[in-house]
Amino acid sequence: MIRVEGLSHGPLEIPALVIPDGETAVIGPNGAGKTTLLRILSGITLPLHGSVRVDGIPPREQEVGWVGEYPDRNFLFDRVRDEIASSLRFRHLPCGEVDGRVREVAETLGIARLLDRSVMALSGGEKVLVALAAALASRPRLLLLDEVDSHLDADTALLSEAALRRAGCPAVVRVTGRMESALAAPHLLFLREGKVLHQGPPEAVFTALSGTAFLPPLWGCRR
Amino acid sequence: MRVSLRDVEIRRGEWTLSAAGVFGEGRHLVTGPVGSGKSTLALLLAGIIAPERGTVVREGSGPLFLSLPFPEHHTTGATVGEEIASWGVAEAPVLAASDLAGMSLEPLFRLSRGELKRFHLACVLARRWELLLLDEPYTALDCSGRDALSTRLSAPPAATTVIFTHARESLPRVDRLWEIREGRLVDLGPVADAIPLWSSPPAYIRIALEEGAAPANISVEDVREALCRTDG
Repeated sequence: MIRVEGLSHGPLEIPALVIPDGETAVIGPNGAGKTTLLRILSGITLPLHGSVRVDGIPPREQEVGWVGEYPDRNFLFDRVRDEIASSLRFRHLPCGEVDGRVREVAETLGIARLLDRSVMALSGGEKVLVALAAALASRPRLLLLDEVDSHLDADTALLSEAALRRAGCPAVVRVTGRMESALAAPHLLFLREGKVLHQGPPEAVFTALSGTAFLPPLWGCRR
Repeated sequence: MRVSLRDVEIRRGEWTLSAAGVFGEGRHLVTGPVGSGKSTLALLLAGIIAPERGTVVREGSGPLFLSLPFPEHHTTGATVGEEIASWGVAEAPVLAASDLAGMSLEPLFRLSRGELKRFHLACVLARRWELLLLDEPYTALDCSGRDALSTRLSAPPAATTVIFTHARESLPRVDRLWEIREGRLVDLGPVADAIPLWSSPPAYIRIALEEGAAPANISVEDVREALCRTDG
């Protein structure tokens, strides 16, 4: 569980917020502060005012995974296998353990065939899957995904969403621009101008958003 | 402008893309999985790369433009105003279309990625093109921006427009559908007949087809209309 209190940072003003375990989708217009919130939850950015606790611990002391919109801008290694292994090797885990974990996470995400390829030769969607694998390798308590689905085609997006669920990370917070994908998350946050305007199950949030552009394409028009 | 692909093949190591067909006047949508070669095909139609086999023939003259997925790859000016001037178009309509009224002096890189994309597209669409190639125009746009773009692209300022995208939540009305399947570009034909042949349509279209609706085109409005109509 994530607890945010008295958060004030740039455009963000969030007096109190509790994000439950499981999957949460963050939606809202460009410039609402979605990415800023995610960076603060991850510990990449320290808030000017207020506090964030992930299971009672500050994000920087917690095991947190992060994947951005352009994952290849953060790749450190050329070979897929080395990129996925990086966080484990940085903490000097035994080679056998690292190799086993890399293979396990690559198989969960369906990218075992890519392990000896160069990350630069991958397609955009494959790069996302490699970045997801690298983030999941250390078994994070909290995984943060910033519009990771925006460069994926429908099948690849479904595949990575399914893989993510199989990976069993206790808490996933993902920013998405796709309302259809948000509909699949049990918990939704709608941000506008730095504030959390709506939160709750998707049905409740989308009902509150009636008349806006922030609805799944067929909302209210299904048998 | 009319672009004909005759027995074209592109090779990148193990990977190949073969394509044949004619992109005539009108609006075309090309879809396909990630890594299937949409961007490569866009570069080919633009004449930036040449095929390993076959020929690409462009008939007609006039300006052509390829908009790349990342808007920062197109910027040349330091400010919003300088960038608009570099396109040789009037400032006010572009500012209005990109929701940047009064921000002519704003440094370009202070815009968010969504704002920059919307601004880049407003610059592109302020001009008239004979051939307009849009590679992932929906990337980084929010829901309002995507809906506005779909409306705009239903009547684009170009004789021939080809949209390459994996976007699944909002699409413009088009005349013809194409799909890349297992290394081959497939011409699905005129839109209404092509929709049922589409192997991986956006979810809103797949659901409508499963429920027996026959949308006239691929925009969300068309699909909602077809679906709500069958709902009675």
